[in-house]
Amino acid sequence: MEVFIAQLLNGLSLGSIYVLLVTGFNLMVLVARIIQFAYPHIVVLSMYACWEVLQLTNNTFLALLSCIAASVILNVLTEPIFRRLANRDGVDINASFIISMGMALVITDIMSHSLNYGFPIAFPANWVEGNLLRFGLITLSKGQIYALVGGIIAVLLFFYLLYRTKQGRLFRAMAENRYAARLVGIPIIKTSILSYIIAGLLGGFIAILFSMLLGSASPNLGEFVALKVIAVSIVAGLGNLKGGLVCGLLLGIAEAMAMGYISGSWSNAISFIMMLMIVLIKPQGLFGTKI
Amino acid sequence: MKKNDILKIKDLSVSYGPIKALKNISLEVNEGEIVVLIGANGAGKTSLLKAILGIQKAESGSILFLGNDITHKATDKIVNSGICLIPEGHVIFSSMTVLENLQLGACYNTHDMGKNLERVFEWFPVLRERSRQIGGTLSGGEQQMLAIGRGLMSNPKLVMVDEPSLGLAPKIVSEIFNILIELNKEGYTILLAEQNAKKALECGNRGYVMETGKVVLHGATQKLMNNSEVCQAYLGSSV
Repeated sequence: MEVFIAQLLNGLSLGSIYVLLVTGFNLMVLVARIIQFAYPHIVVLSMYACWEVLQLTNNTFLALLSCIAASVILNVLTEPIFRRLANRDGVDINASFIISMGMALVITDIMSHSLNYGFPIAFPANWVEGNLLRFGLITLSKGQIYALVGGIIAVLLFFYLLYRTKQGRLFRAMAENRYAARLVGIPIIKTSILSYIIAGLLGGFIAILFSMLLGSASPNLGEFVALKVIAVSIVAGLGNLKGGLVCGLLLGIAEAMAMGYISGSWSNAISFIMMLMIVLIKPQGLFGTKI
Repeated sequence: MKKNDILKIKDLSVSYGPIKALKNISLEVNEGEIVVLIGANGAGKTSLLKAILGIQKAESGSILFLGNDITHKATDKIVNSGICLIPEGHVIFSSMTVLENLQLGACYNTHDMGKNLERVFEWFPVLRERSRQIGGTLSGGEQQMLAIGRGLMSNPKLVMVDEPSLGLAPKIVSEIFNILIELNKEGYTILLAEQNAKKALECGNRGYVMETGKVVLHGATQKLMNNSEVCQAYLGSSV
C-alpha cells in the first residue's frame, strides 16, 4: 500500500506536467491547426535558457522570467513558418507535423552541441530538495508539490480563459469552424498568433515546474516527452482538451506504477503498449477527436 | 427615394486557379433595397458574395462600400466596416450555445451588444427561449434564424444572404423570406442570392441574373418576372 501511494503521488506530479504539455499542444492543434511536435523541445530549451541565466546572474527571479520569455519568443517565431503552409482550412496539418519534427531535431542538436558542451544541466539543489512530507516510503518533495499545485492552478486559469472570457470564445469559435469564424469577422491570423503566445506562456510555466520536479535536463529530454505528448493527445482524441486532462494524468500514473511494481526500464514500453491497444480498439481516441 | 448606393462593384473578376468564376461583374446596391441575385448552381452567386467579403481575392476590378475601396481589405476589416454574410447551409458554431453564437456575431460591436441582443431576440423569440441550448441541437430552420441573428449582431449596413432556402421545408422558407422583407422594412439593405428564383423575385426590388460567372440580365424584379427568358430558365412557366 505504501508503494502504491508513493507511486500515485509520483505519477500525479509527473502527470500534471503531461497534462499541461498536452493542453498547450492541443490549443495550437485547435486554433492554429498545426501539430507542433517541437512544443516540448521548446519547453526544454526554455529550461536551458533558465539555467544559463541562473549561471550568469545567480538571480532566481531573472531566471524564471527568461524561462517564460524564451518559451513565448521561440513559440511565436515558429508561426511564420507554419503560416506559409496555410491552406483553406488553416494549415496543412500533415505538413506541419513533418516541419515541426525538423524543428525538433534542430533544437535537440543545438542543445547537444552548443549548450553546456552537451552535458545534462542540473538546477540548484534548493529548487528541488526538501521533502515536505515523509511517511515511510511516501515522500513528497518540494518539486512534486510545485508541479501538482502549479499544474492545477495553470489548468484552472487556462480553462477560465477559454470558457469564460471573450478571447477564449474567439479561440473556441476558430477551433470549431474556421470559415464561420472568418465570416463573423474574427481576425484569423491575429487570433492564431495569440494562441502561440498563450501556448508559449504555458510552456514557460511548464519549464519552471519541470525544472523543479526533475532538477535536471538533458538534450534528449524533449524527444522523450514529445513522443508521449503526441501519444496522449492521440489516445485522448486529437484536440480534445478535457480528454487530454484525463489521459495525461493516467499516463503519469501508469508510468509511475510500472516503475514501482515492474521495472523502471519497462515504464516506456508499457505506456506505449497501452496506447497501441487503445488505438486498436478506439481509433478516434477515448474521448473523440475534435478536428 | 433618393438613390444612395451602398455597394458598387465594377468589372470584378475572380478565379479559382485556372477557372474563372466571375467575369467582369458590375453591380450596385442602393440604400434600403433588396437586391436579388438569381442563377443556377455554379453561376457564381456565392463566389460574388465571398469576393465582396474578401474571402475570395479579386483578380481585377473594384468593390466600393459606402464610397471606400474594400477590394483588397482583410475580411475582418470588411465585416467591421458593416457588411455581413449569412452563408448557405446554416453555418453556425454547433458545439457552442445559442447565446455564445450571437455574442460571436458582435465580436467588434461589444458596446452595443446588449441592445443588439435584445433586438435579435425580438426578431426571433425562439432564440431567446433556447439561448442556453447548444447550437447543434436546433432544427434546420432555427439554425438559419440563428445564422441571421448572428449576422445582425454586428449592426450591419448591408446584409448579404446566401441561399437561405437551402435544405428547409417550404413553410420555413416562406417564414425566412418574410423575415427578410420585415428586416428590409426596418431599414436593412439586403443582397440576396437565391436559386429559388420565384420566391426571390417576389420579395426583391431589383434583380441580377447570373450565368457562368457573368451578369446576363438586370433590372427591376417586375420586369425580370415578365421576361420570357427568365421565365423559361428559372420560373418554369410562360408569361
